[in-house]
Amino acid sequence: MFSFTKEQQILDISGIKIGGQPGKYPTVLIGGLFFKGEPDFNKTKKDIQKMQNISNRTGNSAILDFFIRKEEYIEPIIDFIDGNIPENHPFSIDIIEPSLKITALELLHEKNLLSRAIYNSIHIGITDEERQALKKYTPGTAIIVAFNPKDKSPDGKVEILENGANLTDKGLLEIVKDAGITNILVDTAAMAPGDYSGASIAAIPVIKEEYGLPTGCAIHNVVEKSKWLDDFENFRKPVDASSNLDIPLFGGDFAIFGPIANAELVFPMIAWQDILISEYSESYFGVEPADIHPRRKFF
Amino acid sequence: MRKVKTTVIGSYPVKIDNVNLMNRYFYQKPSSWNIYIDNAVNNMIEAGIDIVSDGQTRDPFVNIFVRKLKGCRIRDRPEITGKVEYNGPITIKDQKYVKTILPKDRELVGLLTGPYTLAKSCVDLYYNDNNELAYDFAKALHQEAIGLSKIVDLISIDEPFYSVSMPDYACDLIRTVIQGVSCPSRLHVCGDVSKIIPQIIEIPVQILSHEFKASPHLFNTFKQHSFPQTICLGSVRSDNPEIESVDEIKNHIKKGIDVFDEKISQIAPDCGLRNIPIDSAFKKLKNLVIAGEQIYGG
Repeated sequence: MFSFTKEQQILDISGIKIGGQPGKYPTVLIGGLFFKGEPDFNKTKKDIQKMQNISNRTGNSAILDFFIRKEEYIEPIIDFIDGNIPENHPFSIDIIEPSLKITALELLHEKNLLSRAIYNSIHIGITDEERQALKKYTPGTAIIVAFNPKDKSPDGKVEILENGANLTDKGLLEIVKDAGITNILVDTAAMAPGDYSGASIAAIPVIKEEYGLPTGCAIHNVVEKSKWLDDFENFRKPVDASSNLDIPLFGGDFAIFGPIANAELVFPMIAWQDILISEYSESYFGVEPADIHPRRKFF
Repeated sequence: MRKVKTTVIGSYPVKIDNVNLMNRYFYQKPSSWNIYIDNAVNNMIEAGIDIVSDGQTRDPFVNIFVRKLKGCRIRDRPEITGKVEYNGPITIKDQKYVKTILPKDRELVGLLTGPYTLAKSCVDLYYNDNNELAYDFAKALHQEAIGLSKIVDLISIDEPFYSVSMPDYACDLIRTVIQGVSCPSRLHVCGDVSKIIPQIIEIPVQILSHEFKASPHLFNTFKQHSFPQTICLGSVRSDNPEIESVDEIKNHIKKGIDVFDEKISQIAPDCGLRNIPIDSAFKKLKNLVIAGEQIYGG
């Protein structure tokens, strides 16, 4: 269990509290939609409702992460967000291709959705055009992916945040601040199995102690890509879900846990871990859990 | 006139495709650095350079070593957090790769950043003793040098900090690095070395390399000394993208010949070319090669 000497930021992202000392706020769980590309909005509505129900039961806040992989999906997905995600709720837009990111920012601006948007993500692949677009259409929150191809250790992740490891002209934190983005989440960049994947977990307390920023990662990606689990196919889903337990255990604030179809498995697991951490953090460090904490709900 | 070889001091400009690196990360595909090495090496080959380097494309010259040695880490700056020790090959894998793409008529220079420069470039959170730190760097670099010497034709040690503050153990540090190394070695000290030439010529390397183009007054100061090493004559600027004409380079080499005569064994840029545009770096090398051919023959 951790308590950090560095003051920990607690962000309020459209009503969802994230960050702080371990044991204060429950782990925020970010579930993904449309991994396969084409959006199926009818199925999605049911899945979203299920995730919201389980979130209400455990107290772990839920955020939807919308994958957008093609230009033609931008408008229908953003329209869907506009029409279906409650106005007091944030959402995450997850795009890889820089030009699509810029188009999405413009549309989010038109729909007056930028303040609720979590821009997923800013990383060393940011282009000059993207930087300009972010200054013009500034989302309320951004996730920085601290991937450093030169050094995948926790130190390398600090380096990329701090100075860009000679891959960008300045550190990613400064790039985000230059864009005027005030709420920053750090994703510690889970690597492929066998490629220093554990460093993304080890980096969580390092980055929280260094910067005090809400930190997490998509550690489930490592499990998803693990070939040896092919021999244990029945266990892939529970192993995938339980891998997220490491994030709060190492002091992390959010887990990007994969498809929202896994929500009913992931939420109770994480709630259980949050309860365990809170019990100890309160008795040893004096960190009182917030009102929404699962420990308040169940005990 | 005997053939004098054209070579480089170390780095070559590199343009990293960060978008591609991120795409490979997102799709969990391994990324390879070989395209950047290929580009640097192929440019040097195309320019006609005799002794090429790997281009030091991965990192600035201090970070390459600090990143891989035990007891070091890089966060905002390179830092020493424990005893510095060798932790396995640093540049050897890249040099082996270069060997596979290098034509038979070209040679390869292995690059080491000197122990004193490494010690002076890091924030020391462990030793509190620059001498001890520099010697531990030297011992670690020695292991890399032994491995490198089995692959490369020449090892070049880059010690720019000697021109800033030359320690009285400077000679011993370099000896520690290269003792038992089977290939020739070169010491490159950029900056104004006019006041430390007596110490530099005591260093047991075969070739001395300096910035004669940016600091032409070095010709006069070197004149006053006799020394056993040959000279790698810095002949084009590495801090200025302006491309020297072939005639300008030839005139400079002729000045060098007036001073050093047969002692010139290599002509090269003044220093690493990392900080100038790639087009400029290539044309500088090309003109250097043409100037060398016109003076020394092809």
